[in-house]
Amino acid sequence: MIAANTVQLVVVTPEKTLLTQEATSLQFPLEDGQIGILPGRAPMVGRLGIGELVVINGSEKTSYFIDGGFVQVKGGAVTLLTNHAEPVINLKVKEIEAAFNEALERPATSATAQAAKQHDIERNRRLLAILNR
Amino acid sequence: MSAPQSAKDFQSMAKARAIIKRLKAVKNIRKITRTMELIATARFKKAMDRAAEAKAYTQKIAEIVGDLAAAELSFTHPLLEQREQEERVLLLVLTSNRGLCGGYNSGVLRLADQRLKALSKGRINQILEVSGKRGLSYFKFEGQQIDATYTNFEDKPTFDEVEELGNRFAELYISGAVDRIEVVYSEFHSISRQVAVRETLLPIQNLSTPEAETDQKHAVDYEFLPNAEAILEEIVPAAFKAKLFKCFLDAAVSEQIARMVAMKGATENADEMIRSLSTRYNRARQSQITSELSEIIGGAAALE
Repeated sequence: MIAANTVQLVVVTPEKTLLTQEATSLQFPLEDGQIGILPGRAPMVGRLGIGELVVINGSEKTSYFIDGGFVQVKGGAVTLLTNHAEPVINLKVKEIEAAFNEALERPATSATAQAAKQHDIERNRRLLAILNR
Repeated sequence: MSAPQSAKDFQSMAKARAIIKRLKAVKNIRKITRTMELIATARFKKAMDRAAEAKAYTQKIAEIVGDLAAAELSFTHPLLEQREQEERVLLLVLTSNRGLCGGYNSGVLRLADQRLKALSKGRINQILEVSGKRGLSYFKFEGQQIDATYTNFEDKPTFDEVEELGNRFAELYISGAVDRIEVVYSEFHSISRQVAVRETLLPIQNLSTPEAETDQKHAVDYEFLPNAEAILEEIVPAAFKAKLFKCFLDAAVSEQIARMVAMKGATENADEMIRSLSTRYNRARQSQITSELSEIIGGAAALE
């Protein structure tokens, strides 16, 4: 068997399958740091962080924003399960800044509200970091 | 023309006119039911597609859970813990916002009612949460105390909305405010079969589905990043939310099917009624003409 030089990438959200495509390499954040995946990666299951998913297929490069979830690498298939995923091109700096400021000023009275606030701040901060690069 | 004869004439004409009036009303109703049937069919197809697309996520979650199980890890998570004494039970009832969907709501409500009665008999505190206006008005009529209501879930429940609800449920359960969370909804089996069921959401009883278990035979030696515990910590709530989302999607699909079937029946009944009414109208008209003719003939004969 010839070693495959692409991986089959599938991005799934609870509502739909967002993406099914070939990729020569992938980069995305895990909970504790960035990871890169090349064809022939050993099987793994990982917990995703918040940040940018970069899909490189030959000379093509597309990026998405993902927000938590899981990744499963098995054989030549890479499956990303995430609650939210969006192409970075669709994101507007102004909207995110507004959301960021809203999250910063939001009063949080319970533990869950506090966690949600932290999550929103973190998420929007990373989004801004990607967009303002 | 004599008085009694003209009265009779008037009567039969009025009868024919009354029939026409009813016929028109029935025809209008038929138009409405037929349109509703078509709308329900379109919505059902969309809801069905959504449910099918969402299935990929649930399956993958189950697969990863299966992978974790195959790695012989012990599953411990607050959402998996069974409480020894169940003192407070939360019951979530999913009904529709709109009526005209046959036995869809009554089936769900009957089941919910039974459960509530059983709970009160067992002297267990109950917290009732209802989604959908139909369920709301039913429980209000019954005089049940409703603790939370949702009317924002239409035929397209979004994951964000459900996630919010799921987060709140998880918090309630972990904090010990409730010892069990159940949901009553209409489960979708096939186009011809939807059953009202009661399921336990929390504690999660079986995390892995049967399909995932069969997969374990060719278990892959996974690397867990950062570690298996961190994944477990995240995947249990994810599985719970996926399940809750599935309940909402199933309810939406079932509602549209129920409406489609009910409206199809209504349209057929209207058709039948239109047929019998037009027959009756034609008869009335015929007898009116006959009586008019005989009057003329009678009148002519009297002149001779």
